[in-house]
Amino acid sequence: MDIFIPILALGTLGLFFGVGLAVAAKKLKVKVDPRLEKIYGLLPGANCGACGGAGCFGFAESLLSGKLSLGACRVAEEKSRQMIAEILGQELKEKVKMTASSHCNGGKKVKERFIYQGIKDCVSANVCLGGQKDCVWGCLGLGDCVRVCPFGAIKMTDDGLPEVDKDKCVGCNRCVEACPKKLFTLIPSEKKIYVACSSCDSGKDTKAACPVGCIACRKCEKACPYGAIHIVDNLAVIDYNKCTSCGECVKVCPMNTIRIRE
Amino acid sequence: MNIAQFLTIFISSVFIYNVILSRFLGLCPFLAISKESKPALAMSLAVTFVIVMSSMITWVIYRFLLVPFNITYLRTIFFILVIATFVQLVEMVIRKISPAMYRFFGIYLALITTNCAVLGVAVMNIDMFFVKNKAVAGSFYFSLFQGFSVGVGFTLAMLLMSGIRERLEFCDVPESLRNFPIAFIIASIMSLAFMGFNGFRF
Repeated sequence: MDIFIPILALGTLGLFFGVGLAVAAKKLKVKVDPRLEKIYGLLPGANCGACGGAGCFGFAESLLSGKLSLGACRVAEEKSRQMIAEILGQELKEKVKMTASSHCNGGKKVKERFIYQGIKDCVSANVCLGGQKDCVWGCLGLGDCVRVCPFGAIKMTDDGLPEVDKDKCVGCNRCVEACPKKLFTLIPSEKKIYVACSSCDSGKDTKAACPVGCIACRKCEKACPYGAIHIVDNLAVIDYNKCTSCGECVKVCPMNTIRIRE
Repeated sequence: MNIAQFLTIFISSVFIYNVILSRFLGLCPFLAISKESKPALAMSLAVTFVIVMSSMITWVIYRFLLVPFNITYLRTIFFILVIATFVQLVEMVIRKISPAMYRFFGIYLALITTNCAVLGVAVMNIDMFFVKNKAVAGSFYFSLFQGFSVGVGFTLAMLLMSGIRERLEFCDVPESLRNFPIAFIIASIMSLAFMGFNGFRF
C-alpha cells in the first residue's frame, strides 16, 4: 500500500500544476500578429543587423510597424523577399545586388615604416600614426573586415590583403563601415572592373611607397570609350553608371592598378 | 534567529561556498552568457529571482507535503516539478505584464528551468535547515535568505567572469585557446582564488 501515497501525491501535484499552467497559458495569452512569425521564418536569420533593426526578429517587427522597408535587408534572397512583400501587401522594388571590393592591392608589397606591436586590429593600428605601412592610404592587413563579416565572405590572402568571395558576399555593408582606411565600397555585382588603389598622393609619392598604386597617369581616362573613368585627386575613379566592363582601361594601366574581379 | 546567523549565511553563500566557484553548480550560464557584462547581469538577476522564489516554494512543499506523507526521498522529482512549473508561470506573467522586461530577460528565463543551481539551493536548504525532518527555528526565513545570498554569489561570479572576458577581447590569446578554452582556464583560476576563503586543509 505504501506505493500509493507517493503516486497519489506526485500525480495530484503534477495534474494540479499541469492544469494550472494550461489555464494560465489561456488567461495570460499575448496576442501576436500571425504575420510576424511568417515573416521571421522567411528572413535569412543571420542577425547581421545591416538593416538597422535588432536582428531578424526586430526587423520583422519594424517591417510590420512600417519603420523599416523591405529593401533595408540586403541578405534575403529574391524569392523570400517576394513572399514577404506578398504578406505585407506591398509592391516589390527591384534591387541591384551589390558586392564589396577592397580598393587596395598593396599588402605585403608595401614596406612597413615601423614595427607595430599593439593590439592586433586595424582600428588600433590606424591610431598609431595612421598605421605601420609606408602608404597611409592602404590596407593594414590586420583583418578587421574578416572578423566583422557575418557571412565569412572575406579571407586574408598570403599577400596580406582581404579577398572577397563574391558568392558569399551579400553586400551587407559591414566591412565598409569597419575598415578604418575606408577601402571597401559596394559595387554592383555585374560590374567587373575596379580600381585597386585608394591613394590620393601624387604619382611620385605613390610610386615610392607602392609598386601597384595609381600614379594618376590618365591613360585610362583617355582609353575609356564611354568616359566612365576619371582622375579625381590623383586617383582613378570609375563611374559605374557609365562603365560597361569593356576592359580597355585594364589593358592600358601601366601599374596594373585597374583590375578585373573574378 | 539573530543577525549573526543571517550574516553567517550571507558570507558563506557569497564567498566561502560560492555556488559557482566552490560548489560548481550552475556552470552552464557561467560559461555561456559571460561574454559581456550586460546580459550576464540580466541572467544573474533572473537566476536570483527564481532561486529566492523556488527556495520559498520548495520549503513549503517539503514541510507540508513531503514530511507529513513520509515521502521525503522523492524530493528531487518534486522540486524539479515545482521549479519547472514556476519558471514557466513567471515567464508567462512577465510576458503579459511587461513586454520590455520580457525582452530584457529574453531566452535566459526559460534557460533557468534546467539550471542546477536552483535545484541545488533547494536541496541545500533542506539539508541545512531540517534536522531529522523537523524544521529548525526560523528555518523558512533562513531558506529564503540563503536563496537570496546564493543569488548574490552567482551575480558576483558572473560579473567577475564577464569583466575578465570583456578585457580578454583585447588580448592576444593563442589561436587554439580562443573563446571557451581560455574561459575554462580563467574559471579554474578564479575557483582556486575562491578556495582561499575556505582555507586549505591537508
